Amino acid sequence: MVPDYLTIAEAARLIEKRELSPVELVDSRLERIVRLDGRLHSFIRVLADAARHEARATEAEIAAGKYRGPLHGIPIGLKDIYETAGVATTGHSKVMQDHVPQKDAFSVRRLREAGAIVVGKLATHEFALGGPSFDLPWPPARNPWDLSRFTGGSSSGTGAAVAAGLVLGGTGSDTGGSIRGPAAYCGLAGIKPTYGLISRMGILPLAFSLDHAGPLAWTAEDNAIMLQAMAGHDPADPASADHAIPDYRAALQRDANGLRIGLVRHFYERDNEANAATRDAIANAARTLEGLGCSVREATLSPLADWVACGVVIMLCEAYAIHEENLRRRFTDYGEMFRDRMALAGLITGADYVQALRRRRELIDELDRAMESLDLLLTAAAPTEAPPIDAVGKFSTFERPLLTMPFNVTGSPAMSVCCGYTDGGLPLSFQIVGKRFDEATVLRLAHAYEQATPWRDRRPTLQ
Amino acid sequence: MTRAELDAALARLGLAVPEGERDQIVAAAHLIEDMVARLRPVGGRDVAAEPAHVVRFPEG
Repeated sequence: MVPDYLTIAEAARLIEKRELSPVELVDSRLERIVRLDGRLHSFIRVLADAARHEARATEAEIAAGKYRGPLHGIPIGLKDIYETAGVATTGHSKVMQDHVPQKDAFSVRRLREAGAIVVGKLATHEFALGGPSFDLPWPPARNPWDLSRFTGGSSSGTGAAVAAGLVLGGTGSDTGGSIRGPAAYCGLAGIKPTYGLISRMGILPLAFSLDHAGPLAWTAEDNAIMLQAMAGHDPADPASADHAIPDYRAALQRDANGLRIGLVRHFYERDNEANAATRDAIANAARTLEGLGCSVREATLSPLADWVACGVVIMLCEAYAIHEENLRRRFTDYGEMFRDRMALAGLITGADYVQALRRRRELIDELDRAMESLDLLLTAAAPTEAPPIDAVGKFSTFERPLLTMPFNVTGSPAMSVCCGYTDGGLPLSFQIVGKRFDEATVLRLAHAYEQATPWRDRRPTLQ
Repeated sequence: MTRAELDAALARLGLAVPEGERDQIVAAAHLIEDMVARLRPVGGRDVAAEPAHVVRFPEG
């Protein structure tokens, strides 16, 4: 009997010792999908036959002594903007519902080479922007902690599927917070790595200069395992960095003692005021980190709204350029939330876009200066627990400045980590931010925090 | 932004926005206008202030 919930690391240890069969593991996830996903709507497409076929091949390979590593035989899901050879990749949109790529995305190929088994394609907000939407070919994903709640977005299906134990890990993308938001609301760990660390090749773009690919999983260790496979230079992506990839999992062996952390309190106490539960949880987390030997001091940056204005203007302009032709030809084939946000985008001028790029350079310099004497920043990932899914308005993402967007503007690694639960049992979170290409320190702190707290022991109750 | 201004802008863009959605877009336009205003410092920028993206050609 395979447990309902396993981390990637736990399953990998069992598979390596041949105490868990990849076939049994994949079958158990497929059974769980059949039983639960009718209410969660986290999958757009389940690839049951292909996953079973791969699981059998994996089992034979491992039996022959060819164990590849900690992703070998692990069932994962892919946000449906990651292209998959011969399998439709839709962006959760009518506009591309018949799009069948010929090749896997670079990062998908890397995950498969590491032995991961793709169980299916996961729901997203339309083209990673507009959601939750109820007027698309597939319904929006629901939060496993409370089905009436929002998953966060845009990696909504990944957040739901991983939290519900339908897969052990999944891919997301993050242009303004689309990995960290679902991780926060669904109680997961999710890292947006440095811009350029993971190839964007074969991932449907939202905004070229802000798009980041990355994993969502239950723990920091599982993120390290997935990131290890996904990261790497890709000459086909002009933004791909040719940068040495460290051993992320090995970095977790070091404790957090001595790390210097800047707490950006004004982001969530003044600029986008978090509720009391979130503020208390972050204050407790900061004390826990001090207890682990970190120094925590206040850090002050430009107002959150400045960072978000820069990021949103760039995001909307680049997205509009990508969709311009289809918006003209088939406007109402897009969902209302996406298309009306794009109508607003069309009102932004070329001069506005260039001013945003000039502001971006100033903000990148500002963050670099602020972090000269620090190793990491700490702030909120979301101002509250997950709201009701029907309370998210068409333009809500523009009404309160996103706590995650500053680090898309700077391209810095940033991770959402669960730091407790509300009295009603919904996850709370904080965000760790590192220096560019220093994912190892971000993961190291997240892992140390998870080891020191009980939050990873609780899972959603799904009947 | 007025409704007439939006209608003119959408006509220029060639976007067939349904009638029922136009007033909602007008009502939200200030959110973007506020962001755009934040991009410009009081007193303006040095004329030589570069954007974040500059083209780097391969060497050699």
